[in-house]
Amino acid sequence: MSSSSESNREGESSKWLDAHYDPVAGLNTFSSCIALADLHGDGEYKMVVGDMGNGPYNMKLKVYKGTSLLSENALLDMPTGVVAFLMDQNEPRTPAVAVASGPFIYVYKNLRPYFKFTLPALEFNALEKEVWDQAKEDKIDPLTLKEMLEGIRDKAEIPLSVRSLRYLMLDPQEMEAFVNTYKQLPLKRQTVITCMATLKKNMSDKDAVCCLVIGTENGEIFILDPEAFTILTRVSLPNVPTLLDVNGQYDIEYRVTVACRNGSVYILRRDSKRPKYSIELNSQVVGLLRVQKNIIIGTSQEILYGYSQKGKRLWTVTLPAPIMTMSLLEQKSRSIQTVLVGLKNLEVHLYRDKNLLSIISTPDIVTSVCFGRYGREDDTLIMTTKGGGLIIKILKRTAQFEGKDSSFGPPTRQSIKLNVPKKTKLYVDQTLRERENAVAMHRVFQMDLYRLRLSAARAYVKALDASLSPVSSTMQEPLTLNAIVQGIGPHFKLILNLQNTSQNRPSMQLLISFLYDERLYQLKPAFFKVPLLVPGLNYPIETFIECCSDKGISDIIKVFVLKEGKSTPLITAHISMPVSEGLVVA
Amino acid sequence: MGLFDRLASWLGLKKKEVHVLCLGLDNSGKTTIINKLKPANAQTQDIVPTIGFSIEKFKTSSLSFTVFDMSGQGRYRNLWEHYYKEGQAIIFVIDSSDKLRMVVAKEELETLLNHADIMHRRIPILFFANKMDLRDSLSSVKVSQLLCLENIKDKPWHICASDGLKGEGLQEGVDWLQDQIQAMKT
Repeated sequence: MSSSSESNREGESSKWLDAHYDPVAGLNTFSSCIALADLHGDGEYKMVVGDMGNGPYNMKLKVYKGTSLLSENALLDMPTGVVAFLMDQNEPRTPAVAVASGPFIYVYKNLRPYFKFTLPALEFNALEKEVWDQAKEDKIDPLTLKEMLEGIRDKAEIPLSVRSLRYLMLDPQEMEAFVNTYKQLPLKRQTVITCMATLKKNMSDKDAVCCLVIGTENGEIFILDPEAFTILTRVSLPNVPTLLDVNGQYDIEYRVTVACRNGSVYILRRDSKRPKYSIELNSQVVGLLRVQKNIIIGTSQEILYGYSQKGKRLWTVTLPAPIMTMSLLEQKSRSIQTVLVGLKNLEVHLYRDKNLLSIISTPDIVTSVCFGRYGREDDTLIMTTKGGGLIIKILKRTAQFEGKDSSFGPPTRQSIKLNVPKKTKLYVDQTLRERENAVAMHRVFQMDLYRLRLSAARAYVKALDASLSPVSSTMQEPLTLNAIVQGIGPHFKLILNLQNTSQNRPSMQLLISFLYDERLYQLKPAFFKVPLLVPGLNYPIETFIECCSDKGISDIIKVFVLKEGKSTPLITAHISMPVSEGLVVA
Repeated sequence: MGLFDRLASWLGLKKKEVHVLCLGLDNSGKTTIINKLKPANAQTQDIVPTIGFSIEKFKTSSLSFTVFDMSGQGRYRNLWEHYYKEGQAIIFVIDSSDKLRMVVAKEELETLLNHADIMHRRIPILFFANKMDLRDSLSSVKVSQLLCLENIKDKPWHICASDGLKGEGLQEGVDWLQDQIQAMKT
């Protein structure tokens, strides 16, 4: 993995030219609010950016030409989408800019305000209207109004209007002024635009007239006529759309892919009143793109999915960091379509299907990515960063993206079929037997297992009873003993290492004695008194053994460590004596 | 060269021919500059983006230039290298108002200088930092810095600011090129 990403990084400098980097451009925006368009019809493409400013202030529509800012228009509300589209067939063919913000679409032509489209008002709650009518006639005081509105909010099917919701948030002293200001105005309930995209009307040319496709907070998709701004199609969705991807032509056939706030992706087709297909994901969708016939979805769980246009999952790629933004890289001259994924670890990854083609390192976290014709250069990559920086890179004319399989996903060897031999008759018979007598076989196995356990437990208890183990288990005298036999015979030296393993209790009045076949062996001192054992120290005790037999046989010598006045030994050690080789040789 | 030819060239009737390549990015003003160098009666009024390449001829006091005016559009730039062998001099035109694509110009220049047909030849390169009439254009010094021209050590080069529409700065460049070519011939 690391080596392949290194090679990708090396390749990066041979693919991209650093055209411009302004770390303090002051652009705070997202991919949905950037559009590239030849606004003046002079062949020089400009960048239109809906700048969020800093929080709710300083929202601007900025136009960049090359490396410099060409113009700025103030925006009244937060932009949620910026697109450039051709409205009509009139010459010169300069595209208009549509900015979605709140319930409105502001259309600019020649960078001047041209038209404002307002979403149709929604049906309001009759009870709410009645309550406000009463307030208008001063029949109820502000506090009663608040209580009644709260009652309506809790059980009504139709949600309250923005005005009522705002009213419920106010402090009691502000209420009267609010009621007096707004009570004369008619009650309206409006939704807001959450996303916007374009759809070619009836031609697939690059400079064809486009319809606007918008998604709204109340879960609807609208398709608008570009000239008259009438609603051509209106589709309801089960949830709030957040991301849109549109392809096709309105008059012929089109597909709208919508990611919703419930983590589902719906695919709409022409003439379908309801979503045709749906993809259920278990996390939020943060990026949605269509590459040729596949849908690429990035989720908040750092995973990139590839789906077919019928909603069948094709592949999955796990990313090293959370996704910040996604965009399509389309190199028209070579008809290459790849996906740019801006990650939180200061990298932008380029994927063709599930293969990682290239990694671009960025000096800051990238929040928006846009690829296309900018200025006079076809393959320009524009990125804006979290700190408001602007990065422009140009893809080299000679850059080649190698479509090799990267280390992601299963290795190719996995798909090679193994040469599995055919099933023999024996194998089939055995499997049949196993299948038929499974219960009986299992019982037999279990019984044998229990027997084994029982005999193991018995042997253990016996060993414990006889203190046969070389480690003493009593709490009073924790001791360990090990024995070493040196020499080749007939004289052996036996070294017993005795150690007191307790923390601070010395061992006293210990004795060592031996049990052996007196016809075979003679021990010089066959009985010891052990000195006081200081905890932790190792006491070697030596004795000599002489083998009396010359028949080349050996036996076991048992060593007992005893406590004075007790007949059961504390420790028993069995020493298997080696064959006395010295005698045999002699 | 026969006796008559030599006599003619000595008298200045027949001039020596040189092949010059005119390179640079699209919309940098190559065709406009070449057009301006032609005699006034042969100039065209409207310049359109060149497709592929076009061959233009003009004369100076002692030389007859045949210029391969190459198209600068991305998809035609791979044609350039096929003409490197014939070129005896190169005119490289830069749009000094296009700061964004200065890196692209630098990249194309590097590709040109590292090409096998150019690398080991001592051919003169004339740079025109064109469109100096535009308000936001860079100076010729700045352009030569951005293109790292100081790194060209084995070839004679010269940069001059120009205005292809009015023809300012063109004569200075062409005079330099003529001197270099004549110095090479002798």
